Amino acid sequence: MHKISLEECSKLALETGRIMLQSGASTNRVELMMHKVCSGFGYDTAESFVTPTGIFFSLEDGENRISTRIKRIENRRIDLGKISAVSRIVNCLQSPTCEKTIHGESRNASFLKELQNIDKGKPYQAWITNLAGGLTSGFFCLLFGGSWMEFYVAFAIGVLVSFGLKYINRLPVNNFLSSALASALIVILTKSIDYYVPYIRLDNIIIGGIMILVPGLSITNAIRDTMSGDLVSGTARAVEAFIITVGIVAGSGSMLKLWALWGH
Amino acid sequence: MRPWDHLTLMQFAWAFLAIIGFSLRSNLRGWRVFFTGLGGGISWAAYLIILYYTKSMLLSVFLSIILVCIYSEIVARLMDTPVSVFVICVIIPLVPGRSLYYTMRAYLGGNSLEASRHIFNTLMISGTIAIAIAIVASATNLVMRLKHRF
Repeated sequence: MHKISLEECSKLALETGRIMLQSGASTNRVELMMHKVCSGFGYDTAESFVTPTGIFFSLEDGENRISTRIKRIENRRIDLGKISAVSRIVNCLQSPTCEKTIHGESRNASFLKELQNIDKGKPYQAWITNLAGGLTSGFFCLLFGGSWMEFYVAFAIGVLVSFGLKYINRLPVNNFLSSALASALIVILTKSIDYYVPYIRLDNIIIGGIMILVPGLSITNAIRDTMSGDLVSGTARAVEAFIITVGIVAGSGSMLKLWALWGH
Repeated sequence: MRPWDHLTLMQFAWAFLAIIGFSLRSNLRGWRVFFTGLGGGISWAAYLIILYYTKSMLLSVFLSIILVCIYSEIVARLMDTPVSVFVICVIIPLVPGRSLYYTMRAYLGGNSLEASRHIFNTLMISGTIAIAIAIVASATNLVMRLKHRF
């Protein structure tokens, strides 16, 4: 088998790990995938330590040469599509029968190209994500006992909040502040629409909007990481979930209070 | 509400559509969108049905999360996707966003008794979800290990 150099292999593994961790995969999954990449290219001794904010990775060949790399992960955003795409091509690497052509002499180059394609891959277009936000918010409003009139309002608010979230995520602020801003936006929009549409209850609409922001990813990853023995990243994810939750409550609560103080 | 009538079916449909929106927002594609939606619908419908028979909220949250986690372990293996992708989406209907909101509103209204009741609810539900996910994840690990050994 044509063997690639140590540096090449550790670069590929680190790139795989970076894409997965940035899209919100759980850390033991990232470690597993990086090890699979290395053993797919013929290096079996790899050590990795992955936390939600960084990757430490060290690869060794049989002759006491070691390649160690550290990668700091910033600007994470949830992208489950990328996680499943990367897992698929990494599993392809090991199976001989695969529709994607990661074989032959330059299989590292073609693997890197696949990775770059996935990394550059565009998410859905803006109007689809905005409508999906509306769908989520509107149907959660119905689920918790809203009427059809409230559904329409919640749908509109979901669309507007998804639109606003895109710009909030561009601001250089942390998790806490961005979820606080988003939930404050929900309350402002709901209270303003309340002027023009009669006979709606605001509770269900605001809850529908909040369900968009709920940290389901952090909760799930926190538990799954802790259960697989990664205590550091499990704790980190749990704190992240807590911070996001407090942000949601603080944002919507302070905005509700301000609105009440303003006297309407 | 009777558990098996059209109202439950409507609730199922609404949870289904809401989770489809959620999975589109997190950039899933193809049949995965449909299966996450189905899982979300199942989790909410199972919650309602078990709630009707047992009259206990925490038990129904626990059982429906276990059911839906097993569902996502199976579907994820069929579709060659990481399991957590499915679990993240399908637990969303049961995540206590509603109790959180009521906690905040009661707290703002100065009604601390009500607020502590709701925050207790929130914490208990999130703890139950955590335990249920943990049980299914460890059980699957165990089963997979036994399967590899024999």
